[in-house]
This record gives sequence, structure tokens and C-alpha cells, in this order.
Amino acid sequence: MPRKPSLSRRSLLRGAAGAGAAGLAAGALGTTSNTASNTASTLEATGASAATLTAATEKTPLVVHVRDARTGDIEVFAGTTQTRLRDRDLAARIAGAIS
Amino acid sequence: MSSHREAPEISTDPVADSTDVYAFVSPDRPGTVTLIANYIPLQGAAGGPNFYEFGDEVLYQIHVDNNGDGRADLTFQFRFSTHTANPDTFLYNTGPIESLNSPNWNRRQTYDVTLATNTHTTKLAKNLACPPCNIGPLSTPDYGALAAKAVHALPGGITIFAGQRAEGFYVDLGAIFDLGDLRPFENLHAQYGLNVFQNPAAGVNATNHLNVHSIAIQVPASTLVRKNHPTIGVWTTASRQKVRLWDDRNGENVNSGPFRQVSRLGNPLVNEVLIPLGKKDRWNSLPPSDDKLFAGYITQPGFAAALPALYPGVFPRLAALAKAGKPRKDLEAILLTGIPAGLIPGFENFTGPVLADMLRLNTSIPATPSAKQSIYGLLGGDPAGFPNGRRPTDDVVAIELRALAGVTFPLVDKTFTPDAAAAKLTDGLTPASVSAPYLGEFPYLGTPYSGFSNPS
Repeated sequence: MPRKPSLSRRSLLRGAAGAGAAGLAAGALGTTSNTASNTASTLEATGASAATLTAATEKTPLVVHVRDARTGDIEVFAGTTQTRLRDRDLAARIAGAIS
Repeated sequence: MSSHREAPEISTDPVADSTDVYAFVSPDRPGTVTLIANYIPLQGAAGGPNFYEFGDEVLYQIHVDNNGDGRADLTFQFRFSTHTANPDTFLYNTGPIESLNSPNWNRRQTYDVTLATNTHTTKLAKNLACPPCNIGPLSTPDYGALAAKAVHALPGGITIFAGQRAEGFYVDLGAIFDLGDLRPFENLHAQYGLNVFQNPAAGVNATNHLNVHSIAIQVPASTLVRKNHPTIGVWTTASRQKVRLWDDRNGENVNSGPFRQVSRLGNPLVNEVLIPLGKKDRWNSLPPSDDKLFAGYITQPGFAAALPALYPGVFPRLAALAKAGKPRKDLEAILLTGIPAGLIPGFENFTGPVLADMLRLNTSIPATPSAKQSIYGLLGGDPAGFPNGRRPTDDVVAIELRALAGVTFPLVDKTFTPDAAAAKLTDGLTPASVSAPYLGEFPYLGTPYSGFSNPS
């Protein structure tokens, strides 16, 4: 089985930013300057960059699916893996980015 | 059918749509079993310039259960890669394709094969060549010989082929899906008062002159079976990654996430005819081990209940059987458990009590010489034919029609006498209804029809 990428909330945002238009969340984030700024701040604060993405996410898109923004039920797809998160704050930020 | 476009979701995804599965003791190589899984239904031979091909993004698998639990003990996995030599031409080929490495062949496919067991995953082969599609006398001038070069011998006595073949499954789709019309008996059809048919008519093979894509593998039986348990269950699946996005920057789909099953096929016609419309997509996503969820649709088949209404007065005993609500344990045995010893003298392909739609093959039963074969398989007294596995020439439509009509119910209830018409049911077709001759050797399905000559 392929190794699962380790996903924290920060790395998720990094991945979303690095995945560009291919990621559901990233595609939405890129449409509002406010959110793009937030993402840039996160990258700056953590010293991370798209180059830190795992090999899996470099070859295939990292896709974030907010199943239910109210409960914070989030699925993250990368390579051939799927990770389930429950983070209401993160879900709200992603949802806010598209509103 | 037997599983062409059988469910709403998969009918929109032909690259992943399994159409037929065959499993039989190889007639020309005793001691080996041939497994064939067909995909991409109803291909028009002239479908260029982008001729049909396997999906790079699809995980194709052929599964073998050898302990009767409805779960795979061995799985052959196939992943394809498409290579475009020159993206600056619209042509599939820029001259005759006379070899599998012809520089004139612009769009080709290769594939890797992996064998997964419960404990090991072994790469059996990498970068095996598929043949091109059969285009015509200028592009593929000696197609039979060219395709034969795409039959690969692997270590362990395995032979393998993946590529286009002539559709070998014969069926009168046009009539059957016109409210259950069987042309040889259509004068007996209720016809809803329309009185369209006054006389019987010959069947029409709707799949004639059409092609499919086949994955065929011939394996020593000893590789597949458990010691002293010669019966295996076989099915195929296709899986896709959970996420597919249209990347408009590059003009292509990109995929992410784990693979999930979108297509499944074991016995012919089960999902197509027996599973109701609202359950078909779900059925396609599950393993055979979950088939107890659907058992009621097989032991109380709606089609068997409908036959007496479609053909008034022809099936009075079947009507009574359906009305009595007796579970069709005969169909359960044929399709879900295998036939236990004692029902048919000298025969069994029972795998245990787990209800699982698998094509069951008792590998200890030798292939029947072609001159002695019955296209009606076990119903015709030929134990090497369907439902003991399935050979390409078996008339699975007639066999299943007859079984549904009650011919096999006496196996489990000797007081039942089938209607006289039940044993005569057919859509009026035979292997002779297939224009491309079946091959006597691997991969057994005929040379695909060429686009130049079909339709003619």
C-alpha cells in the first residue's frame, strides 16, 4: 500500500496552495484575493513551500472535499490515498473562501 | 448484455464497463485454465481516428476465489499506458502497421500485470504490447499475424493477451429489450394488443460485426486451486480513483484518491436481468461476498414471473410456481453457491454456503472435444460448459432463459414438471450467428472486425 501523506491542518493548506487549480479547495482559494493572502500568510508563517509536498501530491492533484462544512467533515485525496479530517474551523475557512 | 451497459452509472463509462467473463479448461492445453474479461462494449469497427483503447486510469482485475468465501484469493491486475509517438498528427497510424514496433503506429498501448494474493504482490510482467485495433487492409494488412505477436508467454506457464477482439457473445438485444420479445416465439407474445407479429422469425445477432477489448490469461490450474478443491469462482472488476477533475489548463482529466470498484461481472446476465434498476449501481460497487444482499432478486426473479404474462398460456406451470412464491433454490445453486453433489449425477461445482455471484469452474472436469460440445452446456449434458465456467461459444442466453423458465427447478423439487416450452426457449441464435470465427487456440475469441469492411 502507498504511504499515506502526513496531514496536519497547516500542511493541508500548503498542499491546497501547491496543488493550484487542480485542488478543489485550491481552485476556490485562488479566486479571492483575501483568501490568497491568508494562504500566503500561512505559508510564510510555517516556512513551508509547495516544494515540501510529498511525492504523491507532486505527481497527482491534492483534492480537498468538504463533505459537510457544518460538522467539519473533510476528505483529502492525494495520490491513491484518502484521509478524513474533522475540523470545523478549517471547513469554515474553506467555505468562507468561496462565499 | 450479458453485461453490456447493464447499469445506469457504468453505461456512461464504457472504458470501465465489463461485458463478459469466460473461464474454462483450455481445450488445447490440458492442465491450464483460460480466464477472459471483456470490456468496452459494442464497438463499431470503424470508430476512428481515435480507435478504442483500454483506460490508463482504470484498474482492471480478474479475481479468483478458491476457498468459497466470495473474496479473492488471487487477483490478476492490469494497468495500461498509452503512448503517442507524434502528437502533431491526427492519425492513429501514418502508414501500414506490420509489426508491434512499427514506426508507423502512432498511438499504442502497453500494460503491466501484477498477481496479488492474500500475502504477496508479484509483478508478472511490464510493458507488454497490445496489438492495434483492426483498421483495414492498408493500415493493418495482416492483422491476424500481427495480433498473434501480442500473445505473450510469461514465466510460470502463463500466457497472456490484451487487445481488441471480435465480440463472441451472441444475443438478440433488439428483440429482447423490446418488451421480452423472442423472435422464434413472437407470434405467441401478448404484444399488448398491437398484433405486430403473426409468425415466428429468425433471431438477429445484435453484436455481430462489433468488437470488444479482451484481457485473456491462461494459467496452470495448479496455480489457481487449493489442494483437493478443484472448483474456483471467477469474476472481473474495474475500478477508478475516487476523484476525477477536468484540468482545463491541460485539457485532460486528472485523478486522485484510492481506487474504488465501478464495475463487476461474474455470471452472465445477473446484474443485467435479475438485479433491479435501483440496485444495479450498488451491485457493481460490491464484492461477491456481499451478494446475500441481493439473493432475493435471484431466488424470486422478476423475469420468471413476467414470462407467463408476456407469453399467455405458454407457461402455466411457471406461473403457478411464481405465484406460490417458492424460492428458486435451483437458481441460487447455479448462480450463487455452485451446484452441490447429488443433484446432477457425477457433477458438482459447489463452493460452499456463501451466496456469491461468481462464475464457478470445476477444473477437474476436462474440456469436451469440440465435436461433442453442447452450446447448452450442462443443460445439454456437457459438463464442461456453462454454468460450469463459461466457454465463448456457450449459449448463455438460452441456458439462463430456460433455467428462469423452470427447466432446472426439478433439480431441487422433483415434484415440479416444467412447461414444455421452457426447454425450447432461445433467442434464435447460435455460434454460427457470429461472423468472425472463434479461434481454436488462445485467446479463442475471433479476429476483430476491421473498420474498412464493417459495416459493409
